[in-house]
Amino acid sequence: MNSEPTSLLQGTLDLLILKSLIAGELHGLGVSHRIRQITGGTFVVKPGSLFPALHRMEEEGWISSFWGESENNRRAKYYRLSKAGRKQLEVETKRWGRVSWAIGQALEAS
Amino acid sequence: MPLLMKARSFLRNFFSTRRVEADLDQEVHAHLEMLTEENLRAGVPPAEAHRAARMELGGVEQVKEQVRQERMGNWFRSVLSDCRYGLRQLRKNPGATAVMIFTLALAIGATTAIFSVIYGVLLRPLPYNDSDRIMAVFEVNSKGGWSHLADPNFDDFRDQNRSFQAIAKHSAYVVSVSGASQPTRTMVARVSPDFLRVFGIQPILGRDFTASDAKKGAGPTVLASYGYWKQNLGSSPDLSQLHLKINNALYAVIGVLPAGFRFPADVDLWLPADLDGENQSRTAHNYSAVGRLRDGVSVEQANRDISAIARRIHDTSSEQGDYLLKDGIVLPLQESITGKARPALLVLLGAVGFLLLVACANVANLLLAQAAARNRELAIRSALGAERGRLVRQFLTEALLLALVGGGLGVLGAYWGVAGLIGLAPQNLPRLDSVSISIPILVFALLLSTAVAATLGLFTAVRATSGDLRRDLGEGGRGQAGSQSSQRVGRAIVAAQIAITLVLVVGAGLLGRSLMKVLEVNPGFRVDKIVTMDVSLPWVEDPKVKASQAVFFSSLVDRLKQIPGVRKVGAISGLPMVEGGLPDGMFQVMTQNEMPKTIDGLAAMFQQKERLGVADFGVATDGYFETLGIPLIRGRIFDERDGPNSPHVAVISESLARDRWPNQDPIGHTIEFGNMDGDLRLLTIVGIVGDIHEYGLDAPPRPTVYVNLFQRPRAAITVTMLSDADTRLVTSAARGIVQDLNPEIPVKFQTFAQVYSASLGSRRFNVILIGFFGIVALLLATAGVFGVMAYSVCRRTREIGVRVALGAGSSDVLRMILGQGLRTIFVGVAIGIAGSLALTRTVASLLFGVTATDPVTFGGVTLLLVGIALLACFIPARRATKVDPMVALRYE
Repeated sequence: MNSEPTSLLQGTLDLLILKSLIAGELHGLGVSHRIRQITGGTFVVKPGSLFPALHRMEEEGWISSFWGESENNRRAKYYRLSKAGRKQLEVETKRWGRVSWAIGQALEAS
Repeated sequence: MPLLMKARSFLRNFFSTRRVEADLDQEVHAHLEMLTEENLRAGVPPAEAHRAARMELGGVEQVKEQVRQERMGNWFRSVLSDCRYGLRQLRKNPGATAVMIFTLALAIGATTAIFSVIYGVLLRPLPYNDSDRIMAVFEVNSKGGWSHLADPNFDDFRDQNRSFQAIAKHSAYVVSVSGASQPTRTMVARVSPDFLRVFGIQPILGRDFTASDAKKGAGPTVLASYGYWKQNLGSSPDLSQLHLKINNALYAVIGVLPAGFRFPADVDLWLPADLDGENQSRTAHNYSAVGRLRDGVSVEQANRDISAIARRIHDTSSEQGDYLLKDGIVLPLQESITGKARPALLVLLGAVGFLLLVACANVANLLLAQAAARNRELAIRSALGAERGRLVRQFLTEALLLALVGGGLGVLGAYWGVAGLIGLAPQNLPRLDSVSISIPILVFALLLSTAVAATLGLFTAVRATSGDLRRDLGEGGRGQAGSQSSQRVGRAIVAAQIAITLVLVVGAGLLGRSLMKVLEVNPGFRVDKIVTMDVSLPWVEDPKVKASQAVFFSSLVDRLKQIPGVRKVGAISGLPMVEGGLPDGMFQVMTQNEMPKTIDGLAAMFQQKERLGVADFGVATDGYFETLGIPLIRGRIFDERDGPNSPHVAVISESLARDRWPNQDPIGHTIEFGNMDGDLRLLTIVGIVGDIHEYGLDAPPRPTVYVNLFQRPRAAITVTMLSDADTRLVTSAARGIVQDLNPEIPVKFQTFAQVYSASLGSRRFNVILIGFFGIVALLLATAGVFGVMAYSVCRRTREIGVRVALGAGSSDVLRMILGQGLRTIFVGVAIGIAGSLALTRTVASLLFGVTATDPVTFGGVTLLLVGIALLACFIPARRATKVDPMVALRYE
């Protein structure tokens, strides 16, 4: 429920969600697991941050949602990347590259 | 494409709320169940699996609320729901809501009404092109006072200045005008040719004055106002045939000015100023002056410019003395028109501002009490995921609803209020016709309501949502914990209320006592049963015509005396208490033998200070003193001996006799006062009459010389008739007599009581308004004290029950509650007295006969306030003594 790191790393969360959906559609819990997996367990996204982000990104048009069946035959809401979302992923990736490069530079400077 | 998506999301969120909500609910629940299943699969026991999943999720409702806040259009939607919720809250307490709305409506309405007067009189620009570039120009005399301009001085200002693109002189007075549809008493202004250029206007019909129209001996021409042209000239488009008879001369109408142009106030006809040539004296202050600044010239630059010219005149003029200018001053025309009204109006604005504060304090206290009762609700909302900002917004919304409804009602009230204010306003308040509820006033009211709402809402919200709300949930309905500090705030508000009310009531008291002191002043004349009649004959120089005017007045007075019921008839050049009053000037004491043969010789004598005296100059008949009951102190007043050809005589006022001829008998002395009416014949003083407060009761009597109307005729006079008969009978009879003597002379009637009462108008206006604000503030503050004390007793019921159960008597309880109230009252009164001492200095200029720190007023008001406030405490305190310990302890 602690929303503070999320708001600090807003762009990061969006980037991670977009990235997690690149391989195919996932439901909320799936996104959460996938992020944990691809970040090697560094980022654990709580539902309190995940759902608002998913809904916001859907409204932005980056992802779309539909109701489907989960692995255990449960009705679950799935999210999939849209065309705009792929573009956004590129933008975010580039931006992140710049940011991380800049921060790296800053930290290396004596 | 994304924009389309956004729009679709917005619409969906907005119109298919239920589906969106159901979706969200399912999604979160599905998530929860999947989490539980995972835990089960990992071998966690079922009960524990479910609990862990819940912990992981962090609360279904909280997650949903967070999602909602991210939604498109969420802001709009939640404001609507805040409004709905707010309305429900307000409806839940209809009594409190009605009281709050009424209080706010009263305060906002009063403030709006007063502001509309301030705006119309002081702030609204004059209705001329670039009106802020139009200046008024005055001479400054040796005593620092401002006076009108003498002709040669104006000419020097006009010819030597480098600051004005146009500068003009003007002088307005009432004359009889005939030749139009009917003879009228009309306000005319004599103006120099650049007058219209100063205001940046052109005639809508015909032409402006040219330089040749203004030359001495030019054919008389006149410009008419639009209204006069419509009403009296039949809107005729052909001006060539229109002539008006003014002062026995025929004036050709050459132009019509645009609708709405009436400067100076109420003028209908404009004539060239110098058709009879200029007055060569530099001390005959006959004209006001206005000018339009050149582009880029500041008021300060113009001031330096005019001041330099004025000082040059002062240094080089052969005329010297108190009446010669010493300096010149330039100020915006608007300031010169409204400057005198400004202090009183600002005091009114301050007073109504205080009223607004007192009213807001009451509403704040009511809102706080309601918020305290809602602690539990706030705690629940907060626990369900509402952020503090959201709760604050809820309070703001409620306050805004209150203030906007209150403000709307207030503006409606202000419509009537403004009409009332205009009716009540003193006649000498300038620009009253531009006071109305206009767009800027509505904007003001809206901003004011919003500001009030923001202050009240934020204040309540911050008080109500401070601290850890959810802890209150644990304490349940006890309602004891947080209440201590909220009651402290309530009492502080009440103390502030008492302080502000005290300042307001002290101000009202000082003004009220001033009015009473003014009314105690003996004016020196009678007021009742006097009918006045203004009569204007043509202004002429020809001595023969003047002599015939004296005969006219003489027969007029004789005939008026015949009206049944009329006991005395007199005439005076200017009634006491009328704006403007009698002109003042310098006379000199001399005998017939000393009379110089030439004007230059006269000027030389003016250098001999010991001969000079200063006095007002009145033209009167013997009957004037009798009608007004002005007592003869010594000697005699005018009688049959004083015909036009016998030696001219004068009667002087007591203060002039005392000051100019100390230890001497002025009777028998001769004086020369020819600069007032052009007649150099000496005046022999034959009598001394009582002083009168000619310029208003609050101004000291002025030394006055009265000359005889039948010896020194004057064109415009006011006839005074003392009569026991009905005023209407007297006026219709008098009108008939004037008609009979000369049908071309219109007259105007008033009772002297009306004139007298109008002279007290500004004072009465201030006292009534500030007194009204004071009384309303007093009622509000009383309600405030009562409310807070009653609330406090209510909250302390349990405590009081315990005290009574432990043996406290009812007098102990009474003392405890009253003591608590008294502390609040005393703090308020102390602050109020300190504030009054600091603030009443601002009304010092409006006071008369009392100082700004008048102990009687301060003491009386303090006693009154403490008494009323104690009474307001007493009722809840008595209720506290009736607390039954058994009921009280079971109460919760």
